[in-house]
Amino acid sequence: MAKIRHDDRGSLLAPLKALGFFTRAPVTETLAPRPASLNYRGFHVNDWSQCIGCGTCQRICDNAAITMVTIPSLPQDPARGIRNQRPAIDYGRCCWCGLCVDICPSGSIALTREYIHICRESELDSYFVLPDPNGIHGQPFPAGWAKSEVSELIDPARQPMKELPAPTRIQGFDEIVQGYEPQQAIDEAARCVQCGLCHEACPTHMHAPEYIRAIWRGDAEEAVRQIYRTNPFAHVCGRVCTHRCEQACSIGNRGEPLAIRWLKRHAMDSVPDERVRELVTQDSVAAPSGRRVAIVGSGPAGLTAAFDLARHGHAVTVYEALARPGGMPRYGIPAYRLPDDRLDADIAVIEAQGVEIRCNTPIGAELTMETLRQQYDAVVLAIGLQLGRSTRIPGSGHRDVHTAVELLRRIREGEALAPPKRVVIIGGGNVAMDIARSLARLQMRRHGAIDITVCALEDFDHFPADPTELKEAREEGVRVLASRGPKEIVIDADGGLGGLKTLGVTSVFDEQGRFAPRYNHEDEQLHEAAWVVEAIGQISDISILGDSLSERLEWDRGRLRVDENGRTAEPWLWSAGDMVRGPDVVHAVADGHRVAASIHQALQQHTEAGS
Amino acid sequence: MSEHPEGHGPAYEHLRARKSLAEILQSAAEFERKAHQFYTGLIPRVRKNLRYLVEELAAEEKTHYELFQRLAEDPEARQQIQERIAVPREDHRFSDYIQLPDLGDNPDDQAILQYALGREDAAMKQYRELAQNAPPGPIRQLFEYLANEETAHKLELEKRYYELVYGGSRMVPRV
Ligand SMILES: Cc1cc2nc3c(=O)[nH]c(=O)nc-3n(C[C@H](O)[C@H](O)[C@H](O)COP(=O)(O)OP(=O)(O)OC[C@H]3O[C@@H](n4cnc5c(N)ncnc54)[C@H](O)[C@@H]3O)c2cc1C
Repeated sequence: MAKIRHDDRGSLLAPLKALGFFTRAPVTETLAPRPASLNYRGFHVNDWSQCIGCGTCQRICDNAAITMVTIPSLPQDPARGIRNQRPAIDYGRCCWCGLCVDICPSGSIALTREYIHICRESELDSYFVLPDPNGIHGQPFPAGWAKSEVSELIDPARQPMKELPAPTRIQGFDEIVQGYEPQQAIDEAARCVQCGLCHEACPTHMHAPEYIRAIWRGDAEEAVRQIYRTNPFAHVCGRVCTHRCEQACSIGNRGEPLAIRWLKRHAMDSVPDERVRELVTQDSVAAPSGRRVAIVGSGPAGLTAAFDLARHGHAVTVYEALARPGGMPRYGIPAYRLPDDRLDADIAVIEAQGVEIRCNTPIGAELTMETLRQQYDAVVLAIGLQLGRSTRIPGSGHRDVHTAVELLRRIREGEALAPPKRVVIIGGGNVAMDIARSLARLQMRRHGAIDITVCALEDFDHFPADPTELKEAREEGVRVLASRGPKEIVIDADGGLGGLKTLGVTSVFDEQGRFAPRYNHEDEQLHEAAWVVEAIGQISDISILGDSLSERLEWDRGRLRVDENGRTAEPWLWSAGDMVRGPDVVHAVADGHRVAASIHQALQQHTEAGS
Repeated sequence: MSEHPEGHGPAYEHLRARKSLAEILQSAAEFERKAHQFYTGLIPRVRKNLRYLVEELAAEEKTHYELFQRLAEDPEARQQIQERIAVPREDHRFSDYIQLPDLGDNPDDQAILQYALGREDAAMKQYRELAQNAPPGPIRQLFEYLANEETAHKLELEKRYYELVYGGSRMVPRV
C-alpha cells in the first residue's frame, strides 16, 4: 500500500469533491439489530435455579460492575453452600469481557447475542439489571458466550491424595493418608475462588479462604495463624474433621470440592510444632484476671473452652478421668486416622496458653461437682458420650459381648487386646467401621487372617457409615451385611459365645420417614463368632452429677438443657460438646468457644460489679 | 413375656368372664388406669433427666384409659369400634426380641421403654387371644379392636425405642 505523507494536503479540488456528496441520496442504517455471532458477548442471563449466590462473578469483575443483591424469597442454606443472593449487572461499567461466565462455579451465568437496549433519560437506571434465565427486562434473548472447555477457569479435579494401599495398612495402625506434597498443596489451593461459602458452613466458621490463600502464596505460617483464629484442634481437624466446608464448596457444584481439610492438614504439617506454639502464643497477652474456671473433660469441647479462657487471663484447670487428655480423638478415633503425636501437638499448644490438665482425676465420687462449685468461679461440664449403648437382646449380658467404645478405648490405651478369630459387629455407622477395622488389624497380627462381619439394620441405600469408610473397610477384608437386625446372642451349652442370630430387615423407615425397621421372621441367620461387639450409639454418664444437682438442673428429653451460650439452669455451670449438642469434633470446638465467651462475659460482669 | 404382670394371669381370666361390651371396655379401661398409676408411681423413682419419658408414657396410658371409658359409656360405641377394626394393624413382632427388664431403682431410659414395650406386647397378645376364642359377633369385634389399639401403641413405642437406642449410630457422620 502506498504511504501517505504527513504533510500531504491533497488535491486542490478536494473541497469541490466534497461538495459533490450533497447531491447523493442519504443512506439510512435501520436500528433492527443484525444477528450477532454465536459467541457474541451481549447482555447476561442467569439461571436462578442453578445460581448458588456465591458471588464469584462479583469478585472477578475488574470493573466492579456486579453487585450481589439479596432476594429474601430465595432459599438460603449455608450448610449446602446456598446464598439467597443473585448478581445484578451495571451496564454502565460492564465491558463484556465474559470473565464472570468463565469463572462461575455453578455454570448458571451466560451472555447472550443481544446488545441493544434503548431507554429514555428517565429510565437510565434500566442499565442496572438483575438478569434471570430470560434475559433483561423479561425479554428472551438468544444464547451467546457461555462456558466452554477452552474458556473454563474452574479446575474441577482435586489433587489426588497419597494413601497406603489396603495390604499395607492392614498390617498395623500406621496413618493411611500421607498428605500433600508442597506443589500439590499450591495447585489445590489455586482451585479456590474465595467465595467464602466454606466459612459460613463451618460450625466454628474457620477462615478457610484466608488460610487457603496463604497456602497458595506459600506462606504456611500465615495459614497457621488463620487456622488458629477459630480452631485449636488444628491437627485433629486437618485429619478427621467432618469437613462440612467441603459440602458447601462452590467448586463442588460441577467438580470435586476443594480438599479443604487436607489443605489445613498440609499447613499444620508444614510448620514445626514449636513454631506453631510460638505463633499462637505470640498474641496472647491478657493479664491474669484472678478468676478460676474448672473444666470437666479434656475432649475438644473442654479444651477449646480452656484455650479461650486461658487466653482471656483466667486460671483454668481441666479435670480428666482418663490417663491422657484428648477425649474421643484420643480414645475413640483409631490411630490409623489420627496418630497420637498430632493430637499431642494440638494439646501442647493449648497447655502453652497456661491451661493445667489433671489426668486420672474423675469428677463424681471423690472430687464432686459441689467441690468444684465451691472452689471455682465457673465450671464447664464437657464429658462427652462415654458409655456404649447395648441392644439388650437375649444373651447381650455375656462376657464376650462388648461395646465398640470400650474396645476402642482399650486399644488406644495400648492394651494387648486379643480378638478371637471370628467377630461380629452390630451397627452400620462410622463407629462400627472404626471398631471393625481396628479389630481386623489385631486379628491380622494375631491370626494372620481377618474374619469380621458387620451387621447393619439399614440397606446400602441408607447406610449410615460414610461411603469411604465402607469402601476402605471392605478393601481391608471386613464383610459388611446390610439389612440384618440383631435377634439374640447364641450361647453354647458350655457357656461360650456361639454367635449372633439376625433377622432379615424388609424396610428401615416408616411412611413418615421415621426409623422403624421391619423384619422378615422367616429369614433368620446365625453368624458364628466368639465375640459380638455392639456399635449402636453412645450415651453420657450423668450419674457424676449426683441426685441433688440433677434435680436442680433442667433437662430436655434426656439431655441437659442449656441456653444458646451453653449455660445451664445453675448460674455457675456451663456445658458443651457431645453431651449437649454433638455430633463431631468441629461442633465440639464451636461449642467450646461459645461457652468460653459466655463465661468470660459473666466473669467480667462479676468483676465490674465488684464481686 | 410370661413373667409379665399382665400375662395370662388373673387379668386375662377376668376379661374372659366379662359378657357385655360395656363390661369389657370398663375392664380394659381399668387396666389402662392401673398402667397410668404405675408410671405415675415410677416418676419419682427415675432421675430427673428421664422423667419426661415416664411422664409421656403415663399420659399415653391416660389417653387410652379415657378413650375406653368414653366408649364404655357411649351407645354408638359398636359403630366406632367396627370402623376402627376395618383396618387391621400388622404386628412387627420386634418386641419378641426385647427382654423384659427388672425395673429396679433408677432404671435408665432403655429399660423404661423395654418395660413399656413388654406391657403393650402382653396386652396386645392377650386381646388377640381373647378375640380368637370369642364367638363371632360384637364381643370378638371388641377384643379385636382392643388388640388393634394395643398394637398401634406398641408400634409407636418400638419406633421410639429404635430412635433412642439405635439412633446414636446414625449420628457420627464424617461426610
Ligand atoms: C469411635 C469414634 C470415632 C469418631 N470419629 C470422628 C471423626 O472422624 N470426626 C469427627 O469430627 N468426630 C468423630 N467422632 C466424634 C467426636 O470424637 C466427638 O464429637 C468429640 O470428641 C466430642 O467432644 P467432647 O469434648 O464433647 O467429648 P469427648 O471427646 O468425648 O471428651 C470428653 C472427655 O471427658 C472425660 N470425662 C468423662 N467423664 C468424666 C468425669 N466424670 N471426670 C472427668 N473427665 C471425664 C472423658 O474421659 C473424655 O476425655 C468420633 C467418635 C467416636 C466415638
